[in-house]
Amino acid sequence: MTTTLLFQSLVLGVLLGGLYALLAAGLTLYFGVMRVVMIAHSAFLILAAYLAWYFNQQTGMDPLLSLVITVPLFFLMGVGMQRLLITRLRPATLTMMSVLLTFAVALFIEGMIGFVWSGTQRRIQLPYSGESITFLGAQVAVVKLVAFALAALSLGLLYLLLKYSRFGLALRATIQHKEAAQLVGIKTDRVAGFGFGLGLATAAIGGTALSLDATIYPSLHWHWIGPLMAIIVVGGLGSIPGAAVAAMVLGIGQSLLQVPLGTTWAQTIFYVALFATLMLRPQGFFGGRLAQRF
Amino acid sequence: MSPRMTPRRRTRRALAAVAGLSATALVLTACSGDAEEAGGGSGSDDPLVIGISLPLTGDFSEPGKGVQRGYEAWAQFVNEDGGLLGRQVELKILDDQSNADRVVQDYEALIAQDEVDLVFGPFSTRLVVPSARVAQEYGMLFVEPAGAAAEVFEQGFDNLFYAAPAVADDHYNYLAEEILAMPEGERPETVAVASMDDPFAQGTAYGLRDKLAEGGLEVVVDEVYPPNTTDFSPIAAKISDSGADMVIGGTQYQDAVNLIVALQQLNYQPQLAAFSTAPTNPEFASAIGDKTEGILSPTGYTETASFPSNVDFVERYTELHGNAPGEDEANAYTTGQVVAAAVEAVGCAEQGECQQQLIDWLRTNEVETVVGPLTWDETGKPQGAHLIQQYVDGEIQIVLPEDAKEADLIFPKPEW
Repeated sequence: MTTTLLFQSLVLGVLLGGLYALLAAGLTLYFGVMRVVMIAHSAFLILAAYLAWYFNQQTGMDPLLSLVITVPLFFLMGVGMQRLLITRLRPATLTMMSVLLTFAVALFIEGMIGFVWSGTQRRIQLPYSGESITFLGAQVAVVKLVAFALAALSLGLLYLLLKYSRFGLALRATIQHKEAAQLVGIKTDRVAGFGFGLGLATAAIGGTALSLDATIYPSLHWHWIGPLMAIIVVGGLGSIPGAAVAAMVLGIGQSLLQVPLGTTWAQTIFYVALFATLMLRPQGFFGGRLAQRF
Repeated sequence: MSPRMTPRRRTRRALAAVAGLSATALVLTACSGDAEEAGGGSGSDDPLVIGISLPLTGDFSEPGKGVQRGYEAWAQFVNEDGGLLGRQVELKILDDQSNADRVVQDYEALIAQDEVDLVFGPFSTRLVVPSARVAQEYGMLFVEPAGAAAEVFEQGFDNLFYAAPAVADDHYNYLAEEILAMPEGERPETVAVASMDDPFAQGTAYGLRDKLAEGGLEVVVDEVYPPNTTDFSPIAAKISDSGADMVIGGTQYQDAVNLIVALQQLNYQPQLAAFSTAPTNPEFASAIGDKTEGILSPTGYTETASFPSNVDFVERYTELHGNAPGEDEANAYTTGQVVAAAVEAVGCAEQGECQQQLIDWLRTNEVETVVGPLTWDETGKPQGAHLIQQYVDGEIQIVLPEDAKEADLIFPKPEW
């Protein structure tokens, strides 16, 4: 292994980790706020990717501009989904039943994408798809850099929103102790709806970032949900900084392990990490306080 | 499963037996009238009946219907041209519902009860193997359009011929020959291989890899990735870091596109880039954009191939259907051409001794078809190779072999 390859792999790992962090952020949010295991998250990612592709196809404009439409749209879909579907589940079995419910939603989305745009594999062709800049001897693809910037920006905004806004305070209070939050006058139902919407809004951004540098097809989301679930468990359910750190560690780990071990074995890092976390620290390595109750 | 299946299967068997008996009875009564003429020998005006079973419903119905269109086009054109041995050709096509049990029954019935003169093969390895066994029991020539997997040729059939240019391992043969024929100083010296963990993809890539390695090229990267891989940049990084002169991708569609773009992002510029499957897909150019120049791919059939019978086939088929034939249609048509060549050469087409003569003739002769000249080894494996296509001036064109090429091979390939 040459040092150039090592450094190149490290750079690729950081970029991949950033994307993973963005894609997993929504997932940990749903669980944090509502104990909902959202299997359909990656299906929404692919839906957003398709919308970005379709937008580019129809208008010829940069797919990033589709965010103006998809982010509010996904936010509303999230609120709607929480108010119409998730709240109907009984609290006692919420976590388990949400798996079934969102599994169905994922299948529905996959079917709809196939119905509307067929199963043909699509890719957005950008003038800068193959372009890269040289950074200390490593090649950094422009599209990957854009995706990373998008991830950093949206995760930063999400963090500020949760940390400093009134809504963020209410959301965190709901995450920490729902009943106590209700006692101090927080409308936890509405907060939960907005929280879900926020999660789906991150899926809109993540899916668009994904569409810049991936060939997409309706069933692609099944390849993503496993690694993303592993990331949020390792990071600690409900913790956004935890998800970000775990995503970065696993992304870099996967990229570096691929050099000596090959692709097949490098992919198992997610499951090894998941297994080790459940053995050693079931609440996850970050923000553990919440998950201890489960 | 089997106890539950038995009654149903028994009913089916019984029905088949009844159908068979009545068919035999019909044939017997029919024979009494025709006996004189049939005994009269070759000058018969009876149509020459060819028995076929195809998956017209079920899992393989899409390609099955393509094969049907190819067979029917072949029969129609042969009849328009005066038939085979002066007799009109009649196809008797049954639907096996993509079911291996049904396909066996179908060929039993076609050969034993209907006493067809000849049989053509069905679609897919899963149906070819059991039906070839039936044909072998009856000593029938069995030319098939769709069994490329290695297991077809490992069964010890001595009556089977695969009517296509090559099995997966041989897809890249023309390219391998071309590279090995280059002078030492000019040809690529190092090769990087990445293949999906899939028998077909690996077959194509490893066929080329092994031939080049034997010829003295060094394999510097040899990666295998699972079919669900979405991120190809680490593989691309390895290939790029190796600086290999040539890259071979044992690929399907999405992985080829992702890998090629990842290689471009790392500014890796090989002298040759060969990827299976994807470049022949109409979506390919719209995914990669204007950076396809010089990318190579093997293909089993192209409507633009200049083989004389292909020009005729494409013209007449397009007139008939309003669109050019695809690979399934072409493979079926090729099957017809192969059998017809043997029949014309030997001068007979009926069950019995004639079949062995047809088999023996095909073992030792070359047949001109829409996919080029075909010859076979003793297991029925075609001895050819796929055509090699390359993106030249933004169009995918045949560059190898010499006698079929539409454009010259570009080497080294332009930067992407």
